[in-house]
Amino acid sequence: MTGARQIVAGLESAGVTIAASVPDTWIGKLVEEVRRSSAIRVVDVAREEEAVAVACGASLAGGRGAVLIQNAGLLNCGGILAGLVELYRLPCFFLVSFRGDSRDPIYYHEPKGRVTEATLQAWRLRYAVADRGRDLAAQVRQGVEAAAEFASPYVLLISGEDLA
Amino acid sequence: MSARKPLLDALVSMLTPRDVLVSCLGANARYLPHMKVPSPVFALCDSMGAAIPLALGMALQRPDRHVIALEGDGSLLMSPNVLATVAAARPVNLSILLWVNGRYESSGGQALPPAPVDWAALARAAGIRHVESVRDVAGLRATFPNARSAGEPAVLVVDVAFDPAEAIPPYSERPGEIRARFRLD
Repeated sequence: MTGARQIVAGLESAGVTIAASVPDTWIGKLVEEVRRSSAIRVVDVAREEEAVAVACGASLAGGRGAVLIQNAGLLNCGGILAGLVELYRLPCFFLVSFRGDSRDPIYYHEPKGRVTEATLQAWRLRYAVADRGRDLAAQVRQGVEAAAEFASPYVLLISGEDLA
Repeated sequence: MSARKPLLDALVSMLTPRDVLVSCLGANARYLPHMKVPSPVFALCDSMGAAIPLALGMALQRPDRHVIALEGDGSLLMSPNVLATVAAARPVNLSILLWVNGRYESSGGQALPPAPVDWAALARAAGIRHVESVRDVAGLRATFPNARSAGEPAVLVVDVAFDPAEAIPPYSERPGEIRARFRLD
């Protein structure tokens, strides 16, 4: 089973109903897999802050939302994380492509990769870097459940290699 | 052009328990706790630009409820991209009331960048077909029922007078209270 399929299985088993996304090369491949799910509706949004609000709206209305974006987009989200997600204590699971990490072959992503984990730590967000050597579906499910349990954001960083 | 409170009174008088109201930060969010609103209310006190996508997520999750988003022109100027997102998602149960006064009322009444934005044209250009302009309470009473029954996303562009002396009540509910009370049956 591909990593993308495992991730979708994790989202499905965690009860995610709506996945809001701005794609990049990696997330785009994942989203195509999500579109095959009969349990999850993909909402294509124009900017990452919208994805956060859409996911939170789904959760407030009784479903479970997820945000699928690149780390550049995550860096856009500081305001809405503070002013909506944290302020109202809403669960919000993020699956974020970790561009610019040591495995990324594209040179121009490096600055984002350099600041991603430092930013997550500065924002005091719970997060993990996906481990392809373990069950990806379980890591996704645990992330969604952690967001729900703590009524807070949770970020799972993935590499393009994780999707293969 | 009408003052804000009579417009808000008229809107609330047309709501039912099956509606869901999402308010952006600012005057509307501050008035609503003092009003007898029959529908669930989720009011923001921060996060400009979040009201419409938040309402969109609710509308898609609960197609059996009609969701009404109250947004200000200052917030939408910051994130007009959401109009295209709404047009693409095509929820059948989302109405957007855009309150246009040309001011950042929540932060002291500073003027927006003085550009002659045609909000109705912008919404249509983004792909939203049901768009109407509202200039007064009678106009709101005439257009809101059509928006609610449109079966597609609707935008009402509501001209509202800016009054720097308006006695807007302060925020009277904490986010935790708003979150705890917000429940959809």
